[in-house]
Amino acid sequence: MSKIKFTLNGKVVFYEGDPLRRLVDVLREGFQLTGTKEGCGEGECGACSVLKNGKLVTSCIIPVGAIDGDDIVTIEGLRETPQGQCLVESFAEGGAVQCGFCIPGMVMAAQALLLVNPHPTEEDVRVAISGNICRCTGYDLIVESILLASRKGEGLW
Amino acid sequence: MVNTCYIPKTLEEALKIRKETGAVPLAGGTDLMVAYKRGVGITPVFPFPVMIITQLDELKGIKVEEDGTVVIGALTTSVEIAKDERVPYFVRLAASKMGAVSLRNTATIGGNIGNSSPKGDLPQPLILLDATVVLQSLDNTREMKVDDFIIKAKKNQLAEDEIIVAVRIPKPDYTYGYYRKIGTRRANAISKLTLSSIMKVENGVITDFRASSGAAGPKVARSREVEKMLIGKPIFELSSFIEEFVEAWDGVISPHAMPEFRRATTKNMLRHFLSVCADQPEPGIIE
Ligand SMILES: Cc1cc2nc3c(=O)[nH]c(=O)nc-3n(C[C@H](O)[C@H](O)[C@H](O)COP(=O)(O)OP(=O)(O)OC[C@H]3O[C@@H](n4cnc5c(N)ncnc54)[C@H](O)[C@@H]3O)c2cc1C
Ligand code: FES
Ligand code: FES
Repeated sequence: MSKIKFTLNGKVVFYEGDPLRRLVDVLREGFQLTGTKEGCGEGECGACSVLKNGKLVTSCIIPVGAIDGDDIVTIEGLRETPQGQCLVESFAEGGAVQCGFCIPGMVMAAQALLLVNPHPTEEDVRVAISGNICRCTGYDLIVESILLASRKGEGLW
Repeated sequence: MVNTCYIPKTLEEALKIRKETGAVPLAGGTDLMVAYKRGVGITPVFPFPVMIITQLDELKGIKVEEDGTVVIGALTTSVEIAKDERVPYFVRLAASKMGAVSLRNTATIGGNIGNSSPKGDLPQPLILLDATVVLQSLDNTREMKVDDFIIKAKKNQLAEDEIIVAVRIPKPDYTYGYYRKIGTRRANAISKLTLSSIMKVENGVITDFRASSGAAGPKVARSREVEKMLIGKPIFELSSFIEEFVEAWDGVISPHAMPEFRRATTKNMLRHFLSVCADQPEPGIIE
């Protein structure tokens, strides 16, 4: 048993238990933040993507004991921000969503990109989401929606 | 079953725990968490004690010593390595091609070497450059070539009380350099085959030549003996040695899966690099 303290969507939270529990399980089951999805459980698909200290990581392969003191942002936290709202609106407007399972991870990947590169090229976007698998859309509308967000959200990032 | 897990706050504490319990270091966890995963909602179970060292700042970062040796802390991630211009080209490029950005934000160089997979991307260029690992225990520090540290797939010389603390890369000195990774999919593709090579030419003579093949056998393949075939040769005669060398290198690698593909591709890559060098272009990286 260990006590882990971290910031989750802007609030300081505590976790008590096995430090080898996967972050995705702590988020979904411990904190009821089910926006973060689990696809492969092996770091391959990006469905479980969150931001750790502003950087994109896959929460299915991170033990909660590795994030003491870190800042974690999930889709639930991001969507409350102007940047997150812009992304959500752009995904809707651009028709980027079919079944939706990959979308929280895609939005997190887009946010991670725009934080360091507010005016990405199409190629930049494709590279940034290259660790996120979508079984429905064929990616083009997702890429376009991220580019749309970067235009609509001018000044936000 | 319940896991035994420690979270040391300092390197010294980690070394003590390692010595007393033999706990296995978890750095990024990208190999360990996948190897012991059990399923959705279920905590992985490790059949050995684990210590999470992810946050030990003492093992993070990159510095350059006076003689140009680049020292990379064991917990430095692929993203950090890829973006640091002081790190030799081959190692940066290999780090930049590991997985997707989320993986590169998590995977560490110590873990890549510690995992000792023949498909790991970093040992290949590190072995080309005669890089060493620094291994520390409570009472001792030792250093050995990455090439000697990795024995074969998943087997290395890490002692039960040791932790990899750093990787040291001597300043490379070459006229021509080459690096290629062949993967299936750009993101999260474990290497199918990699090759790097360097050649130094002084006054028209090849004074150093090295090659390093990854994912083409149980460990990264280098052969000082075969490399010697080209050392001392005048560069204007190089083209007449290429085929003989390429055939000899074919004897150095021992690919298990898809051997024909790996052998033919390795030969093609070497032939390409050497024939470009034979034309004596401007010094630099050969594409
Ligand atoms: C989706 C995905 C894609 C991947 N793609 C690639 C790829 O393209 N190229 C590639 O090379 N690898 C790839 N990998 C494998 C893995 O990410 C790398 O091997 C990575 O560098 C491992 O580092 P880590 O810190 O996560 O290791 P961990 O899982 O923490 O550890 C790996 C091993 O090294 C040991 N270890 C770690 N740190 C130390 C230390 N400081 N001292 C002693 N022992 C230590 C551990 O005990 C363990 O045995 C991929 C993995 C995943 C999940
Ligand atoms: S569920 Fe984590 S990457 Fe697929
Ligand atoms: S919308 Fe269905 S997986 Fe992407």
